[in-house]
Amino acid sequence: MGLAIEVDGLTKRFGVVQALRGLDLAVPTGEVVGFLGPNGSGKSTTIRILLGLLHADGGRATVLGGDPWVDAVRLHRSIAYVPSDVNLWPNLTGGEAIDILARLSAPLEPARRAAMLERFELDPTKKARTYSKGNRQKVALVAALASRADLLVLDEPTSGLDPLMEAVFTDAVREVKAEGRSVLLSSHIFAEVEKLADRVTIIREGAAVESGTIAELRHLTRSQVTVAVDAGADRLAALAGVHDLHQQDDHVTFAVDEAELPSVLAAVAALQPRSLVANPPSLEELFLRHYGDDLAAAERRATAADREGARS
Amino acid sequence: MTAVSTRPAAPAPAPTPDAASQARRPADPFAGIGAALRLVVRRNRVRLVTWLYVVVGLFAYVAVYYRSIFDTQQSLDDFARVSDTPAIKALTGLEAAPNTMGGAVWTKIWMTCALCLMLGVAFLVTRSGRADEELGRTELLRAHMLGIHAYSTAAWLVNAALCLACGVGVAVASILLELDPDGAGVTGSLVLGASIAGVGAVALGVAAVANQVATTSRGANMIGAAVIGAFYVLRMLGDLGDGRLTWVSPIGWGQEMQPWGANRWWVLALLLGLTVVLHLVALRLEVRRDLGAGLVADRPGPARAPERWTRPLGLSLRLQRGPIIGWSVAVLLSAVLFGSVVDAMTDLLDDASSTMTDVIGGTGVDDLVALLVEIIALVVSVFAVQTALALRTDEAAGMAELQLAGAVPRARWALDRLVIPAVGSAALLVVSGALLGWSYGASTGSAGQVGSLALAALAYWPAVMVVVGVAVVLFGWAPRVAVAATWAVVGAMWVVVVVGPALRLPDWLLDALPFAATPAQPAEPFSWTPVVVLAAVAAVLVWLGVDRFRRRDVVTA
Ligand SMILES: Nc1ncnc2c1ncn2[C@@H]1O[C@H](COP(=O)(O)OP(=O)(O)O)[C@@H](O)[C@H]1O
Ligand SMILES: [Mg+2]
Repeated sequence: MGLAIEVDGLTKRFGVVQALRGLDLAVPTGEVVGFLGPNGSGKSTTIRILLGLLHADGGRATVLGGDPWVDAVRLHRSIAYVPSDVNLWPNLTGGEAIDILARLSAPLEPARRAAMLERFELDPTKKARTYSKGNRQKVALVAALASRADLLVLDEPTSGLDPLMEAVFTDAVREVKAEGRSVLLSSHIFAEVEKLADRVTIIREGAAVESGTIAELRHLTRSQVTVAVDAGADRLAALAGVHDLHQQDDHVTFAVDEAELPSVLAAVAALQPRSLVANPPSLEELFLRHYGDDLAAAERRATAADREGARS
Repeated sequence: MTAVSTRPAAPAPAPTPDAASQARRPADPFAGIGAALRLVVRRNRVRLVTWLYVVVGLFAYVAVYYRSIFDTQQSLDDFARVSDTPAIKALTGLEAAPNTMGGAVWTKIWMTCALCLMLGVAFLVTRSGRADEELGRTELLRAHMLGIHAYSTAAWLVNAALCLACGVGVAVASILLELDPDGAGVTGSLVLGASIAGVGAVALGVAAVANQVATTSRGANMIGAAVIGAFYVLRMLGDLGDGRLTWVSPIGWGQEMQPWGANRWWVLALLLGLTVVLHLVALRLEVRRDLGAGLVADRPGPARAPERWTRPLGLSLRLQRGPIIGWSVAVLLSAVLFGSVVDAMTDLLDDASSTMTDVIGGTGVDDLVALLVEIIALVVSVFAVQTALALRTDEAAGMAELQLAGAVPRARWALDRLVIPAVGSAALLVVSGALLGWSYGASTGSAGQVGSLALAALAYWPAVMVVVGVAVVLFGWAPRVAVAATWAVVGAMWVVVVVGPALRLPDWLLDALPFAATPAQPAEPFSWTPVVVLAAVAAVLVWLGVDRFRRRDVVTA
């Protein structure tokens, strides 16, 4: 199976800001790939490079077999794009904007256009100036989802949608996928990606930190375990695969790598715990683990608390 | 200077059954104005200081220069005589005491300073007014403890302070440079400063209303500039005619304060009175409309777009419809008015003695007509630059990204849109030249004027396109500063055209500037060389800019 998008060691710098530091990303043809990362991690920059709007400093990007910078115009006939901030012509109507966008990229099917307008409950006769952020987003979504594009590039497409519309969006993307078309779906919300994506790439500070199918990533997740033991908790902290250990009275809470679960559980059993609670692994937790400085700071606070807990 | 202080704090009205039918006043309309003032100053401090420097600096520069070249009363008398031409009357109006040092400086630079301040104030008010409202920033502020009028009033107060500072600055410069005649005190200088501050205040009032009426910042700026332009044309017609129309225009009021002549303080009351009225109207409108909306609600539009919008040109013709129609009306109307004034003047000359006719008739009328053609060309260049800069404004707003993510080559996207300034300015020049000739030659029966003035105006097309080329080069190479830098270039060219030799720039440089290089027909004979060279320069500039745009990143604001 070919690759709709193939990105290799992509770099991009804006003045002093290094937005991308050797990013790798692949979208196999016919699959939905989630592109996850916190705000400012470089998702939009990557997507703009894939659309030939920005010029990469280094690395290689191939879209539908072509160079996104050189072959931009040819490629764009087969690509539909939804930007993260949709800015429309303020004094044109939503319907007019949809037609303009659709005619500039892959051909649009009138029946689909009408159906999408209906499903997204969008009034095409209103001036774009009067649209809310969600409605502007819907304009771009209708234009993209009603088109026959081989590749859909969606940059945080649901950021302004209400839950009902999110469900409509999810259904529509599933239909696109069923037709064998490819989708790159950027998001900072994990749940949205988990629902739709075959594969996920997690980006942080301009580089991919995790990449694989949902099933593969589940192996990287950690179970949350809480045990009540009388003594020997410090021995657990030293075990391979144990993270974020907290102790409160005789209750010890920690995370365990999926791969190390058997050996850690054996060690716990040896301590003769009075009770044990285990929470199943969540991809959300994996994603959060890679999240920016907020989380790093939270971790530092937690370890500081650990040390205090250990001293007392 | 604004209406704020004159307005009694009305108690919050109790809700009445028919409250919906009448516009109710929200309580505490000016709450939080202190914070709003600080914000407006912080966001505009560089611009405020720049305009102050430009206005006061221009005045002081010309004053210093004139003091150095007019060292005898004889030289001042000579200057007063040679500047009493129709062309100078049209451009700047005549001073009441032209043979004083202050009068000479006034003739040269008062109008330029006044227009600079008026346009500057109009644009600055929009920046904190419609522009912020369009971008949702005002909404963010108003959601806090900010009264309905607090933000707009803060912008007005800050700009009122700018007008005051410019007036004081000009007056102080005039006093320090001793422009007042010996023994006459400093009244002339004070009247001068008051006249500058006064016309600036009127522009502030115009902008305040324009920002309530228009729904877009571009629209607000267009209305403001158009009204100021109308004030200018009215006073031009008045100064060239019997002077009655001068009194219809607030700019004319500023002139009629006559520093060093009649020193009329009472005219200042007219200027300030109009300012207060305009602000009261603006406050009224602000209560009546919704945030973000204009005075008329948006109507539903078509659900489908016509096929021709697929081309960038087709779409931008639709998007630029407003500016195209507005500028066409303004330019063509001015051309007809200009022509009728010249016509009236030649009638006067017929009755005058033959010696007078010799003095003014031959070169005087041709000079005036040539100047009017050049003014029309300068105005057309503003239209051309504005429509060319839509390249950048659309890119900054993110609309270019939407289009370029479709199957449109970058070069075609840019060149297609440049058809509007290119073809539009050529058409406007030809038609306005022809109209000028038509209304000028109407009574004299010289039908040949239509064709010859149409060609005289068209000769400026390469010069206009050079300015467009500058805009395109800046768009290609320095997109973030392109808009401001392009307008700075246009402003500098205006200043050079008006102030000219006083800048002490080398002659070859002054002559090489696009508008000076173009043959000023009918005062000068036509020549192909400068026109061809300018056309070539324009083509190279456009090519450089578009080629760079093909290679660079798309940069949103
Ligand atoms: N045009 C630009 N100029 C300077 N810095 C930029 C520009 N565009 C993006 N950046 C910076 O690059 C980084 C990545 O931004 P972006 O790709 O928009 O992130 P995301 O879409 O993941 O939120 C951020 O630090 C952002 O501030
Ligand atoms: Mg983004």
